Amino acid sequence: MLPIDAAAHSSRWRRRHPVEKAALGFGLTLCAVSLPPWPGAVLVAAATLAVLLGPAGVPGRQLWRAFRIPLGFCVTGAVPLLFEVGGARGPVALAPGGPAHAGELLLRTASASLGVLLFAFTTPVSDVLPRLVRAGVPAPVVDVALVMYRIIFLLLDSLAKIRQAQAARLGHTSRAATWRSLAGLGATTFVRAFDRAQRLQSGLAGRGYDGTLRVLVPSCAVSRRFLTATGVLLAGLVALTLVLERFLP
Amino acid sequence: MHIAEGYLPPAHAAAWGVAAAPFVVHGVRALTREVRSNPESTLLLGASGAFTFVLSALKLPSVTGSCSHPTGTGLGAILFRPPIMAVLGTITLLFQALLLAHGGLTTLGANAFSMAIVGPWAGYGTYRLLRRFGAPLMVAVFFGAFVADLSTYCVTSVQLALAFPDPGSGVPGALAKFGGIFAVTQIPLAVSEGLLTVLVMRLLTQSSKGELTRLGVLDRPRAERPEEVAAR
Repeated sequence: MLPIDAAAHSSRWRRRHPVEKAALGFGLTLCAVSLPPWPGAVLVAAATLAVLLGPAGVPGRQLWRAFRIPLGFCVTGAVPLLFEVGGARGPVALAPGGPAHAGELLLRTASASLGVLLFAFTTPVSDVLPRLVRAGVPAPVVDVALVMYRIIFLLLDSLAKIRQAQAARLGHTSRAATWRSLAGLGATTFVRAFDRAQRLQSGLAGRGYDGTLRVLVPSCAVSRRFLTATGVLLAGLVALTLVLERFLP
Repeated sequence: MHIAEGYLPPAHAAAWGVAAAPFVVHGVRALTREVRSNPESTLLLGASGAFTFVLSALKLPSVTGSCSHPTGTGLGAILFRPPIMAVLGTITLLFQALLLAHGGLTTLGANAFSMAIVGPWAGYGTYRLLRRFGAPLMVAVFFGAFVADLSTYCVTSVQLALAFPDPGSGVPGALAKFGGIFAVTQIPLAVSEGLLTVLVMRLLTQSSKGELTRLGVLDRPRAERPEEVAAR
């Protein structure tokens, strides 16, 4: 299992309706993207972190491990904003206001990523997919996504085992051996994916498969209290940002 | 590598979502038609999508000493065709955003446009063109995967340049900056992905001829002529 999904399955908020968590997580992400980065993104990031580490009970170490991936891209993507090319000041020069622009981008991206992580760390994908049909996504697409989701973990497990076996047979000792091993890894994964699909097909055919995958969705009601609290938090963040924006430099 | 959550301004994120939508809707219709006429293909398509996701978990050695991962769009488009890849690629991006914190939801449209639409179509177009002119299968596969990978990153560079024009030289300058970082450095990685795809395809032609024939990558064996059958 992937770390984020494993954490979501054992989350304190696991039994909450996905709509509640989507409203909170994506609401915070939208605030981070649409409000002015200073002070909006800072306030949103602080609020998201407080919810993640507080009521949602996400362990700080797990959060950091997941968060450093988007952070790495944000830093790489912000570097070009520090420079200007082909302007009046030479072929490559420091851009006027570049550091401020890059800083704002970093704040916005980091803050928005935390909002999505709040949803991901509290909601397993298996809770979301079956409910997408009610949201208007065609059932065949949801079925394909469900099968994908279930096979992914089996294939990742196979991948790790094959890689371990290849390493034990000195499959990564030279560049040529590494390439051979990688090709074998890709091809074996493909063969196993198809084999898995055929075996699933045989198993389901024996159980009267008619083209629809029926799965049990744990029933849970949408909490109006939670949604109201979410609305108050988001409205508070927007109002505070607009007020502070006038007073802060 | 995908555009991270919140990286694009809201207007750009929405515009790329609108641009990607017709292709994804077209793919959804093609997939729905396929599943309704052949219910068992749900499992095959699911396995194909899972394969695309897992392919992006392979670490590829790069000539610079670092490593990257294949986009898998070239191989996916050659095996499953671009309309299906638009849907599978979008679902893969969604899973990567939620399960790996790689990419994002507000940038899903932009990432889908580059990785699930332009990459597969460009790669598949190159593959088909080369096959039509009589190129050997492996040569066509190499260039298909190479073009799919490189075009994905070129489109990403364009998306970033449009969102963040250079203060001195505008969009062209920004394209040079982002292209230098994301597209030019990607050339050796695109070559690597092309080579890996050729190696994978070579193994598949040996071990999974049936599946490749069913997917239309390999020609069906020519049926025995009636006179040959009668002579037996």
